[in-house]
Amino acid sequence: MSGHAVVRVLLAVAVALLAQETVVLDVRLGGMSPDIMFLLPIAAGVVAGPVEGAAVGFVAGFAADLLTPTPLGLSALVGTVVGFGVGAISGSLVREVRGLPTVVALGASAVAVMLYAVLGAVLGESQFLHVNLALVVVVVAVPNALLAGPTVRLMRWALTSPDERSVAGGMR
Amino acid sequence: MARPRRSRRTLATLVLLLLLSVTIITLDETGRAHFLTSGMRSLANDIYSPLRRGVNDVLDPVGRFFAGAIYYGSLERENQKLQNQILAIEGQRSAVAAGQRQLIELERLQATDRLPSIVSLPAVVAEVTAQNVSNFAATVNIDKGGDQGVRLGDPVVGPGGLVGEVVTVHHGNATVRLLTDGKSEIGVSFGHQQQATLEGAGPSRSLQIQYVPSTATVSRGELIETSGLQGAALPPGIPVARVTSVHSVVGAADKQVWAKPLADLNALSYVEVILWSGSS
Repeated sequence: MSGHAVVRVLLAVAVALLAQETVVLDVRLGGMSPDIMFLLPIAAGVVAGPVEGAAVGFVAGFAADLLTPTPLGLSALVGTVVGFGVGAISGSLVREVRGLPTVVALGASAVAVMLYAVLGAVLGESQFLHVNLALVVVVVAVPNALLAGPTVRLMRWALTSPDERSVAGGMR
Repeated sequence: MARPRRSRRTLATLVLLLLLSVTIITLDETGRAHFLTSGMRSLANDIYSPLRRGVNDVLDPVGRFFAGAIYYGSLERENQKLQNQILAIEGQRSAVAAGQRQLIELERLQATDRLPSIVSLPAVVAEVTAQNVSNFAATVNIDKGGDQGVRLGDPVVGPGGLVGEVVTVHHGNATVRLLTDGKSEIGVSFGHQQQATLEGAGPSRSLQIQYVPSTATVSRGELIETSGLQGAALPPGIPVARVTSVHSVVGAADKQVWAKPLADLNALSYVEVILWSGSS
């Protein structure tokens, strides 16, 4: 990742975090709110692969951890695993398949929520398993699937240079 | 040769990030670098709070406009309901005047017993700036913090009764753990000086009252208050909840008692932080 890419990723994470803490937090479905911070590593993994997915997952997760009253580092851990996993799996798939990011975002968001709850419970936060986990999975995964397209474009802008983007655009 | 080297780099990056995450979790959980982790959280909150407020100030009127247009009918009904409530409240004012006289008498008695009373404790009014920032924790953020005298463990009350207690304090804001949070646990009393523990069971779920002996007398609708026993985290006499259901299991030592918070925890706009920790 180049220095410019790092700056763009940090900017994307900051903007996503602000959106999460304001607009997204006001969206309530059954008392739960969507979580777009898990979407960033998923999109980064789809766009650039496991290393970038893991790195973005760590940064986005850590930033989210700083503003939530849950164990510091837990979202960073989950983001790292999910970003890496998505990058590794989608690397073996055809990346230009239409609708792939949507399907990946749906599945990976569900995995991220469940992993977060289980790891939280392992760390002594047993109340993480007292919430309606099925509802949280749906409320997080479905909006993330719907927002996958724009987020993939955001991550493509953040992680690839203008030259790479124009080559990718030309090939299509 | 390039492929294995790339795989090693990929694996090394993953291991490094995982180790870093686990280290941060360990430092935070054990409290060994509390100054560092809380300092980072404070800094992030101090940076993000004004940004969050600015965005909300811009977006809230837009959201209210659309909400008003969509829910016009229900707003009219709510308006009527509120007008009826105002009439009922006016009717209760005379009863309140009598209650105030009793309260003065109670305060006098408490002063005699040297028991702290929430009426005599200093308090600050705070605006709720964010609710349930995580799906896994029932918390609210308020716009008052250490600079305004708020301390860890201070009780927070809202319309109706106790809302929760302060669990994180930054310079200009704080986080309040609501009664419904799975980690919430407070000493309460009910009936004729019967003591128990009130525990949260997760966001939007009923509160569970633990350690109520099967011989205890407790009925539906009974008022639950903070017990304020010696060394308690909260002052006595704050109304907390009402009993919603009582189950006695044959052979069990304790009754299963559930309660509902008196304050509407899903619709908090302003709360009062009782500056108890500093004064106790």
